[in-house]
Amino acid sequence: MRRVILLVCWLLTDAVLFIGAYVAAYFLRVGFILSTDFPLSPYLQTVLFVMPLWLAAMMQLGIFRLTRIQSEQRNIAHILFACILGLALFTLAYYFLHDKFFSRLLLIYAGGLSFALTMVWHLAFDQWQRQVLRRLPAAYPLLVIGTNREAERFIRLLEERRSPFRPIAVLDSQGSPLKDIAGVPVLGKLNKLEEVIRSKKPTHLVQCADLEHTINLMSVCRQHGMTYLLLPSVLGAIVGSSERIEGRSVILVKDKG
Amino acid sequence: MDNGQLEPMRVFILAGGFATRLWPLTEQRAKPLLPLAGQPLLSYVLAQIPAELSVTVSTNAVFAQDFKKWRKGIGRRNVEIIIEDTGHEDEKLGALGAVAQWLSAEKIDEDLLLLAGDNFVGCSMDTFLRLHRDRPLLAVHDIGDLELAKQFGTVVTEEGTDPLRTVTSFEEKPLHPKSTFVSTGWWFLPKSSLPVLKEYAQLHPDNVGGIFEEFLRQSIPVDCFIFREIWKDIGSFESYLSLHREIVDGRVIIDGSSAIGKDVTLRGSIDIGPGVRLGESTLIDCIVFGKTTILDCVLERCIVDEGCVLEGVDLTDKMLRAGTVLRNKTSL
Repeated sequence: MRRVILLVCWLLTDAVLFIGAYVAAYFLRVGFILSTDFPLSPYLQTVLFVMPLWLAAMMQLGIFRLTRIQSEQRNIAHILFACILGLALFTLAYYFLHDKFFSRLLLIYAGGLSFALTMVWHLAFDQWQRQVLRRLPAAYPLLVIGTNREAERFIRLLEERRSPFRPIAVLDSQGSPLKDIAGVPVLGKLNKLEEVIRSKKPTHLVQCADLEHTINLMSVCRQHGMTYLLLPSVLGAIVGSSERIEGRSVILVKDKG
Repeated sequence: MDNGQLEPMRVFILAGGFATRLWPLTEQRAKPLLPLAGQPLLSYVLAQIPAELSVTVSTNAVFAQDFKKWRKGIGRRNVEIIIEDTGHEDEKLGALGAVAQWLSAEKIDEDLLLLAGDNFVGCSMDTFLRLHRDRPLLAVHDIGDLELAKQFGTVVTEEGTDPLRTVTSFEEKPLHPKSTFVSTGWWFLPKSSLPVLKEYAQLHPDNVGGIFEEFLRQSIPVDCFIFREIWKDIGSFESYLSLHREIVDGRVIIDGSSAIGKDVTLRGSIDIGPGVRLGESTLIDCIVFGKTTILDCVLERCIVDEGCVLEGVDLTDKMLRAGTVLRNKTSL
């Protein structure tokens, strides 16, 4: 529920922000008057028409994914792309709806403002939503498999960055003398997996070790509707991602050493 | 023991472990109840015990129902199941603790034959029991590798060629084994040694092998019986599959209720349980527990638990947990 409310809030505020950016551009260009040569009403009508398309493009690019880091370079590029797309759609829509072009400077203002305001708002929203998502019970409880150094580094990273993914428990196939890793309890071996899933209700499972159990951990995730994650280090790689070749999923590893 | 008649003796089978190393096969099943050529491993253990001896099987609360079900199907009356009140590995009473508790609760004053429910011993139990003197006796196998011996209780004996020898030292899971002779999960304890066991169990409830170190420490002589037949401790995927290969020995065992379709190749040692549907697949040295569908697959050295659906996948050296669904739609 928390995730749905956050997403709805985000979509609504972004919609308001898009409209606000374009209205601000209008007044910056036209002056703070209601011009009769270039009336606000058809302009606003076009903005309202384009706004859902812009939101859809943002959504398609994964910008509203609650677990995404908004300050990441890729995300900034996506927002920039969405804003340019929004601007292009607005220009075309205005021409098609009203059969005329208008000030190029206004378009530069609108494009610049929509990108700048969206970016600032998304950075602020990201900080706020992390706090909300991490509040117990966490929105994305994460079960960690493995007690090796990679697991420890990953847990510490999530904690330091205040990630929406909140590690709630650790299991290890070999058993571990550790009682906890960075404050996250080590609850035993994999025979406790079902019990831990029942009691802690994780939404995600990350495998940091025990390559031989991959197939069974994926099976557990499938059965419980959880998302399975794999650290590339389990495969002996440092960086990996999922790609598609001819429609077939493959794991892409492009380590630079 | 030379008149062929067994002395009064109780048999206690340790079957209370959680077998975490065999996850996920032991997620819903105790290790001694893992199938082996169509029947549970525990049934093989029981079959070796002389029929006149009363048998107690000790297990934990998690697998209690499975053991009771097994008990109903064995057709032997003098077998009882006792349940340790433990639902978790960390709450375990300990193997030796369970024995001590039972000895006290039942006021046992007879010799005791203690057996590990997850060990397969190929030698004759009659021979083992015939050899015992009024001193602790353990069955010993030469594992032939010092590295492997580190995982078990190792035994050093007096020089000789006789299968019955006196133990000079015993070390449980030593870092530097002095011998490749290992204890195999058959232990005979005369009633005179039981007080030592009870006392030792209070401090070391989970160290069955340690009791022999204690006997030697107290200068109680210990014998061992060295056998050459097969022995496997079912502690891992590899040992389970290896025992499967030894027992099934290249045969194909298929339960009558399973359906084998066209284009199926079965090679090596194959054990297919009830309710399996198999089509257009190749299986090599595999165990399929039951109620599973396998279509268009190549499985080599795999153990497939119940309720799986495998379509269009090739797997090697895998244990698949119950209910695994793998459908490779791109291959169909």
